[in-house]
Amino acid sequence: MSFETDVSRIEEIAQKLNASDITLEQSLALFEEGMRLAKELEKALEEAKRKVEIVLGEETDTVEITNLE
Amino acid sequence: MAELLNTELTVSELTSLIKKTLEEGFYGLKVSGEISNFRPTSTGHWFFTLKDSNSAISAVMFKGSTWKVDFTPKEGDQVVVTGSLDVYAARGTYQIKCDTMEKAGLGELLILLQMRKRLYESKGYFAPQLKQPIPRYPKRVGVVTSAGGAALQDILNITARRAPMLDILVLPAVVQGTTAAQTISNRIRQANELLLCDILIVGRGGGSLEDLLPFSEECVLEAIHDSHIPVISAVGHEIDWALSDFVADLRAPTPSAAAELVSQGYLDLHQQAKALKQQVARSMQTKLLIAQQRLKSHDRVIGGKRMEAIIGGKEYLLANATQNLATSMKHLLVLSASRLHTAHRELQALSPLAILARGYCVVQDSEERLVRSAKQAPIGTKLSLRFTDGSRKAVVEE
Repeated sequence: MSFETDVSRIEEIAQKLNASDITLEQSLALFEEGMRLAKELEKALEEAKRKVEIVLGEETDTVEITNLE
Repeated sequence: MAELLNTELTVSELTSLIKKTLEEGFYGLKVSGEISNFRPTSTGHWFFTLKDSNSAISAVMFKGSTWKVDFTPKEGDQVVVTGSLDVYAARGTYQIKCDTMEKAGLGELLILLQMRKRLYESKGYFAPQLKQPIPRYPKRVGVVTSAGGAALQDILNITARRAPMLDILVLPAVVQGTTAAQTISNRIRQANELLLCDILIVGRGGGSLEDLLPFSEECVLEAIHDSHIPVISAVGHEIDWALSDFVADLRAPTPSAAAELVSQGYLDLHQQAKALKQQVARSMQTKLLIAQQRLKSHDRVIGGKRMEAIIGGKEYLLANATQNLATSMKHLLVLSASRLHTAHRELQALSPLAILARGYCVVQDSEERLVRSAKQAPIGTKLSLRFTDGSRKAVVEE
């Protein structure tokens, strides 16, 4: 599940950013990665377009699936 | 009633006696029959006749009792009422005054459902260890319900708002009547055979106990029990229930609640992403602030002196370099000037104009071709002679 791995990576980044033993450059790189992931995730969660389909036909061998929305 | 023999009574006296006898003798009755001639009044009372194949009795149900009945009776309904006899003296009629009314057979239905529930419980169909976990981030949700029902609309609306990336697959079923149970169980099995989704919502909107009956039928219970896809049972309103609720992996009180359950993971994820973004931004801000502060203190103490030392050394080098550059530039210019002079002189020696200046001239014919020999200029040829200071035309005479 990529959403979940994304979230745990951002969590990790947030934790590392709070640590005092990293350089400013490392912080900046982490910050950029974290923001990019978070924005991408938000976008995916908000803007993704779902498919709504309906099953036509009762029998398994004649089944047909068409778009409803 | 021997004392009534040969006693003269007024109509009122007789009616009063009848009223007393009937009302005191016939109470706490439970009567089953068919509704006929149903006449609701604008004030909320119901007047009707209760009948069977041989007899009929007038009936009334007052507003104070009708509101407790969860359906509106119609012609031909088989009902069971409780109540007492009531005599209307002014007309000399009697009727049954109803306190409660329910559809006939409902009691039997409940008993049947209880028996079936016990049967499936003893078969182990409700066992907690059989419950499959509900996926937190499903990719596609199958919905077994009526394609035209409000339940489907609710599910589509709620999931669109909360998890717009979540695909929905509608498996249309009849949800009421005699064919319903079979179509519902067929759809559940179909979803499993074709592996059409990773979670199934099976349900419908609210209705009477009879309306919801298909979801308690054995074939539906078996299909849910056999399903490898986790099933959420979402039948009716919160107070309604069906046996599917017990066999399913999860019971949702309503179809809308089921839609909320399947989209909860994504909604949480969204909130989490937002919160984390803020956290990352805040941490970075703090980091920058600290760095800025450290930089400032460096500036004042060490930074200033060190920079001076560095710049002082370099300034000397820079001045030196500038001097060197100017000298070599001058050198280069002198060199170039003398070269130019020589080149100019060489060029002048080679110039045809310089030759002309020494007393020679250039001879060209009328077409401006250079005349290099006497053969090129027979007698009468017009020539052009170019001297150093201009040209003249000439004709060859001999």
